[in-house]
Amino acid sequence: MRTMQTAKNIIEVNNLCKTFKIHKRATGFKGALKDIFHPTYEWKKAVDNVSFSIHEGEMVGFIGPNGAGKSTTIKMLSGILYPDSGDMQVAGYVPYKQRKEYVANIGVVFGQKSQISWDLSPLDSYEVIRHIYRIPPKQYKENLARYTELLDMGSFIRQPVRQLSLGQRMRADIAAALLHSPKIVFFDEPTIGIDVVGKDKIRKFIRTLNQTDNITMIFTTHDMQDIVKTCERLIIIDDGQKLYDGSLENVKKGYGSSRIIEAEFESLPISLDLSHAVVSDADNSGLKKRIAFSTDEVSVNEMMSALMNTHNIKDVSIREPEIDAIIRDIYEGRIVMN
Amino acid sequence: MRDILSLFFAYAKSGLKSRFQYKLDAIVATFAVFLREAGGIIAMYLALLKFDTINNWNIDELLFLFSLIFITYGIFIVFFMALRDFSDWIRHGDFDRVMLRPRGLLTQLVLCGADWLAALGHGTLGIVLFVISASRVGIQWNPAMAVYYIIAVISGVLIQGAIFLFFSSISFYVVETGSLKEIFYWNMRKFAIYPLSIYNRFIQSILIFVVPFAFVNYFPAQFFLRKADMAAYPEWLMYISPVVGVTLYLLAYSFWRFSLRFYKSTGNG
Repeated sequence: MRTMQTAKNIIEVNNLCKTFKIHKRATGFKGALKDIFHPTYEWKKAVDNVSFSIHEGEMVGFIGPNGAGKSTTIKMLSGILYPDSGDMQVAGYVPYKQRKEYVANIGVVFGQKSQISWDLSPLDSYEVIRHIYRIPPKQYKENLARYTELLDMGSFIRQPVRQLSLGQRMRADIAAALLHSPKIVFFDEPTIGIDVVGKDKIRKFIRTLNQTDNITMIFTTHDMQDIVKTCERLIIIDDGQKLYDGSLENVKKGYGSSRIIEAEFESLPISLDLSHAVVSDADNSGLKKRIAFSTDEVSVNEMMSALMNTHNIKDVSIREPEIDAIIRDIYEGRIVMN
Repeated sequence: MRDILSLFFAYAKSGLKSRFQYKLDAIVATFAVFLREAGGIIAMYLALLKFDTINNWNIDELLFLFSLIFITYGIFIVFFMALRDFSDWIRHGDFDRVMLRPRGLLTQLVLCGADWLAALGHGTLGIVLFVISASRVGIQWNPAMAVYYIIAVISGVLIQGAIFLFFSSISFYVVETGSLKEIFYWNMRKFAIYPLSIYNRFIQSILIFVVPFAFVNYFPAQFFLRKADMAAYPEWLMYISPVVGVTLYLLAYSFWRFSLRFYKSTGNG
């Protein structure tokens, strides 16, 4: 782990709030008519008093269910939206006040919205980007050569983007966001819709870049594997509020003490009277049971012997919960974060 | 300035390059714009054969009035197309990308949005009309007049740009502004085809004070033509197109600056 104490904060966010006025649409024809003359609005707190800080070179996963407020937070951090209240300092700037100077320091990759033209080759689009960012020729040449190699773009960099695969397009888009050597890069769902091999290439590249260039990176994604494979730190946001902020390891350790034993028994009847465990049917036969418990209360060893002492077991498997399941539990309030 | 120019050329190069990925469509589009607009003029021409003059303006004078609309519009879409279609930029999330780049927002929008082929269609038509009519309406050209003409064209472009800058600013509040543009731009433009003096007081006031299209073509044309109907207006109106253009643009610009903070972006929160 990097030296957390000495690293300096590149992002500081305090009590950030953003509320949207949402037009509540009525249903049906009558409702639609009524809507025109008496529209009803409701206020939605998209981001509600969120604070955090991120050091230089850190890689942070920013996750939450749809509509949780993560995009809004990222948009405020990147200077697109004005916050209603709260303070923000990113790379020494206040993004919404000093937008023009500030954004020269960041790169943003939207998985769903390319910044390179559909009808041009990546190289043609990079030329325009070079002018927009006023990238010095030497830096441009070096970066271009480096990212072409690292992202393996040599074979398609001169082809129109419309002929590229989604994975290739995404790699070209990532390079586009890096040509001006940003200090911070925001990735918004950078692997969405891409196949497993493509996802892996992208994650590997991002990890490498973070290590070699010490670029601060913020991820938003729905794919927990993006986070597991790249980030050390996780911020979970839901309903506009921060639910968790800490290491990924901690989430797994603190909330991952539950185990599931799936056992197939030789014969009926099965009478399991286990305290500290929840038993359910794993299939229709009645012979396969799922036994969930926490290792804080009873060890795997004890549980196994309790089962084997009373029944004949044909097959057995023990599973740890996956990170996706833990996160789902956190969203749904089954695990309360402190 | 060199920096701005080089950015402008970089945008233009990539814009044209991507347009010419579909060569046939690009060429047809230019002609289509030209023919569509020329069709309208031919229809008017045929109708005018019956009347001979409208409010004492003959066909050549009307074409001269007309040419200013096309020439200014041709230049307008080189610089203001992004503002003309700004609701789409917001709706599709393209404006987010503009905000993420270290350049002035309007600098980017003005430099990047050119529809060169439509501009060529409108511009060529405007120039053809100008060449045909200017030689027949008896203008005694001198350098001062040529300078005035150029200033009048620039002012006309600026006035239309300012109108769309207003619409674009409104997009920050309501996103879609299609009907507003229809009423306050496209309809006004249809009015501006004919001399201002043929309309009733109400429409005249709108074309002078609200959507000042009269300063795009009618008053500048009067400077060259000096038709009798100008007597109904103060003479200095012929000279203030640049003032109207710059003032309107500055007003629109401050409204834009003010409205920017209400930009909501799209997406799921």
